[in-house]
Amino acid sequence: MQPIDLTAVLKDAPRGEWLALSFARDRIVAHAPNLTDAKQAAYKLGELNPIMMKVPPPHALVL
Amino acid sequence: MKIPFSSLPATPDSAFPFRSELKRPIVALLLERGEVRVIVYAVVDSGADVCVFPASVANDLGVSPSNQRASAFSGTGDAAQTAWFEEIQVTILPMEAPNIEPNQEPLTFPLYAGFCETMEHIGMGLLGQDGLFSRFAVSFHHAHNYFEIL
Repeated sequence: MQPIDLTAVLKDAPRGEWLALSFARDRIVAHAPNLTDAKQAAYKLGELNPIMMKVPPPHALVL
Repeated sequence: MKIPFSSLPATPDSAFPFRSELKRPIVALLLERGEVRVIVYAVVDSGADVCVFPASVANDLGVSPSNQRASAFSGTGDAAQTAWFEEIQVTILPMEAPNIEPNQEPLTFPLYAGFCETMEHIGMGLLGQDGLFSRFAVSFHHAHNYFEIL
């Protein structure tokens, strides 16, 4: 089985901002410094089930 | 429910000069509190004692830090961090992917979830022992790129 590849969709995503990913995980629908603003922007653009996340920081390992 | 690992971008450094991505066991979660709902990612983390999410998620769900249910915890550093806790409803959403059985049933359960400012830079939650592993059998199949929650 192959992992779900999020590297391409997150490649040029703005670091530090909240991203609203399409539920199909194939594009960033909206982004904003604030989670709720990004989510509402995605709703307005017709994405009813955005997945909210941030780009992992450069110090990517989490312990 | 069988879920593929996800690959996230990572920056190479002197310890891992050839690293360009990280493979993590993450799930898409529908979090609900009353009429408010938000879908976020969370890492399935057997080393976490509880389930915690970034403070922004609490703000979106209308959970106030002044709810008086605060608890201190620590990560690898010595400094104590504070999370505040609230009852919410969680649904683990199936992820459509090749080689994954389609139409898997979502898993819904009540969760006493923590929220903290220090998770903010990570931008996703952690599903830990009390909340996830206390309810479900979880098995990791890292070499085969999937994990299972039963």
